Amino acid sequence: MAAMEIHFTLNGQPVTVQAEPDEMLLEVLRRELGLRSVRETCGLGICGACTALLNGQPISTCILLAPLAEGCEITTVEGLGGRHPVQRAFEEVQAFQCGYCTPGMILTIKALLEEQPEPDEETIRRALGGNLCRCGCYLKIIQAAQRAAALLAEERQRQPQPGPASIS
Amino acid sequence: MPEPGDNTHYAEPDPRVTGAIRYAQDVELPDMLYACVVRSPYAHARVLRVDTSALPADVVALTPDDVRSLGLYGCQIKDQQVLAVERALYIGDPVAAVAAATPRAAREAAELIEVDYEELPAVFDAVEAIQPGAPLLHEDLAISDNDAAYFGMRPEPQRNVCHHFRIRHGDVEQGFAEAEVIVEGTYRTPSAQHVPMEPHACLAHWTPEGRLEVWTGTQTPFNLRMDLAGIFGLPQEHIRIIAPPMGGAFGAKTFVRYEAIVACLARKAGRPVKLVLRRDEEWLTLNRHPATIHVKLGAKRDGTLVAKQVTCWVNTGAYADCGPGVAQKMGFASPGPYRIPHVWVDSYCIYTNLPSNGAFRGYGATQAVWASERTMDLLAERLGLDPLELRLKNVLVDGDRYCTGEVMHDVHFADCLKAVAEQIGWQGGRRGKGLAVLLKGMQTPSRASIVVEANEDGSYTVHCATAEMGQGAWRAIRMLAAEQLGVPVERVHFPVPDTDIVPYDTRTTSSRSTYMMGRALVEAVRQLKENGELGYGECVNEGGLDPDTGQGIASTHWHQGAAAAEVRVDEETGKLEVVHLHTAIYAGRVVNPPAAQLQNEGSMIMGLGSALFEEITFSEGQVTNANLSDYNIPAADDLPRLTYELIERPGAEIHGLGETALPPVPAAIGNALFSLGIHVRDLPLTPERVLEASERRRAAPV
Repeated sequence: MAAMEIHFTLNGQPVTVQAEPDEMLLEVLRRELGLRSVRETCGLGICGACTALLNGQPISTCILLAPLAEGCEITTVEGLGGRHPVQRAFEEVQAFQCGYCTPGMILTIKALLEEQPEPDEETIRRALGGNLCRCGCYLKIIQAAQRAAALLAEERQRQPQPGPASIS
Repeated sequence: MPEPGDNTHYAEPDPRVTGAIRYAQDVELPDMLYACVVRSPYAHARVLRVDTSALPADVVALTPDDVRSLGLYGCQIKDQQVLAVERALYIGDPVAAVAAATPRAAREAAELIEVDYEELPAVFDAVEAIQPGAPLLHEDLAISDNDAAYFGMRPEPQRNVCHHFRIRHGDVEQGFAEAEVIVEGTYRTPSAQHVPMEPHACLAHWTPEGRLEVWTGTQTPFNLRMDLAGIFGLPQEHIRIIAPPMGGAFGAKTFVRYEAIVACLARKAGRPVKLVLRRDEEWLTLNRHPATIHVKLGAKRDGTLVAKQVTCWVNTGAYADCGPGVAQKMGFASPGPYRIPHVWVDSYCIYTNLPSNGAFRGYGATQAVWASERTMDLLAERLGLDPLELRLKNVLVDGDRYCTGEVMHDVHFADCLKAVAEQIGWQGGRRGKGLAVLLKGMQTPSRASIVVEANEDGSYTVHCATAEMGQGAWRAIRMLAAEQLGVPVERVHFPVPDTDIVPYDTRTTSSRSTYMMGRALVEAVRQLKENGELGYGECVNEGGLDPDTGQGIASTHWHQGAAAAEVRVDEETGKLEVVHLHTAIYAGRVVNPPAAQLQNEGSMIMGLGSALFEEITFSEGQVTNANLSDYNIPAADDLPRLTYELIERPGAEIHGLGETALPPVPAAIGNALFSLGIHVRDLPLTPERVLEASERRRAAPV
């Protein structure tokens, strides 16, 4: 198969990559763009180790054909800068052991908290249904999600809500 | 400035939250090729011909002819060649391999290799495999010179037995004659997959001087180096193993896995070769030993235990790996932490035509505790006693001798049992509740050594072979060093272990590392403080058992814990719901509380998976659920109310705690079911099994 060119926004920067038409986005992110936070475990879209955000929604890059990313905004944990409130919460709570699933967990929780800033524990558990952790850090991951919600709420309080005119 | 032991302040964000951590699978070298393995589709077959003529010219192939002259390997029994040269012994046994420019090219090339086989009769069940006339897997069983072969092995070559471990304590016939009540039964535990999130990954490279360098996710760098030296006929010093952090291991990443295949490919290609397994190949690489365990237990009418006889049939699959060690540890865990004057144990490690089984978190204890602790509840019911009281009446206390003859010290089984009973509300009614207790040995004998070096900038570097797989050992060792050096933990570095640099260590298994390295550190730091530059320390634990009598020192240090569960059952559907799970484990002195909590939580959750749904299914030796859709592991929403306590004691030693909570969890849940009259003997506790047992109870005469 002939390779094709794909254009998308990765962590805020426009990128152009070469990929086979039948390749999954995961392979392209790792090979062409050197991203190591997206990781293959199940290859079936079940475990969430390969999670990235596509236009803000968590997806399994191991089952997304790379050409379908054309024109989309892709976010990986490398794009969060290291001090994002969800990342800070994970560090504070120590919500990881081997760390392999952690980037996927962080992105899924980030997306959840953008939709539901104050989720209850049940909602968090369900939202994590597509992210598996074999080390079994779930209790602390749930705590980290709750802590991240609190940190994000503090940030919102510090930054007054923008008025309708200030939307940019 | 953060204090030593403070782990909430980092100069840099933790590489696990930024994604910057580099695992074994992320290692790359210029010009490297990617490998793919060609596997047998037959459970037992003669390999007649391997034809590589259809391969593109730029693909490197490894065939039986390439490896025929290389040494045999095996960490305990030398029963394995780099590829299946004469006969393939399980579905998935590597018969050839390729290396190509991309992973895709390698997968496509592997499809082009044609192999002719002559199918042979196969056997899959361990009890059947030792019957007369069963297909014989290995003709000769040479005991390995690897130092993982640390105990007297008793192979029985003409009957598929690679080790027969015995305990002979007291006079078991007399014991049963004295018993007023005897209960017996057979219990089965299935094979399970470790499912480390990161698959097995390794990269091999030969230097121009002829040294072999291997980057691999391994818990056993020195054992791996010994076996590779034997395979290639090289001095050990000509082999360098570098062990980056792993995305989970749980016992799966031990001894030689694919390192020999990639090393052969790399030598033939004259370039570095890397292999990262596809997920389905994990089920063909190493699993947990399925076990069939028969228990006969005799007691006086007041509940005093008098005799116990146990037979374990331990299915090690096609190659022994560390199966003899697992069978031995299963054997000496099976009497349980009780005073029993007459004990007789036979534990057989048996070859079958299944993928190899090896180290798995719990290391034989999960299987033994399931059989042993289910039997205790049967006995309690027959005697009309409270299962907790029965246990407390017989449990080992300080100064007691175990059935191996060794004197027990720092014993806390009763504390653990009382703690879990209280937290599960035992006194408020036992219906739907169950408990179980565990004793598990630590690798004995073993040796750990460590070097601490002062750097010019005032920081320190620890040179240590301990592998990091998420258990937090590197951090715990850094924290211990920082504490002893009187500096913040950030000033203590722990580079990726490299056998060219780090001193010898037995291996990172059996929850031994923080305990053993922590002790070795004391001397290393003392020396460094004396000379200001460099200190070396080592810790040796000595012991071992006579394999024919099981007498001696099984463990210098015992892992101790208990679990309690409360369950609900829908008797229409067989659905079992765990409402609350509590464990109490003896932790001695905790080094890093968040990491210790995580290890214990993870251990409980893995135990829950083993209890409720984890089982590798086979059809005539073919794994039928080699993916995470059909083989389920616990997710966040599967968890019951989960609580625990780490019991500490002022001035106590450090206790490893990575595996303590797992083994008693399935037995506690099984006993909770039994309190409802539902007696399931085989794990996992699927709705089908629960329904069947529940119907059996209804059909039983009142």
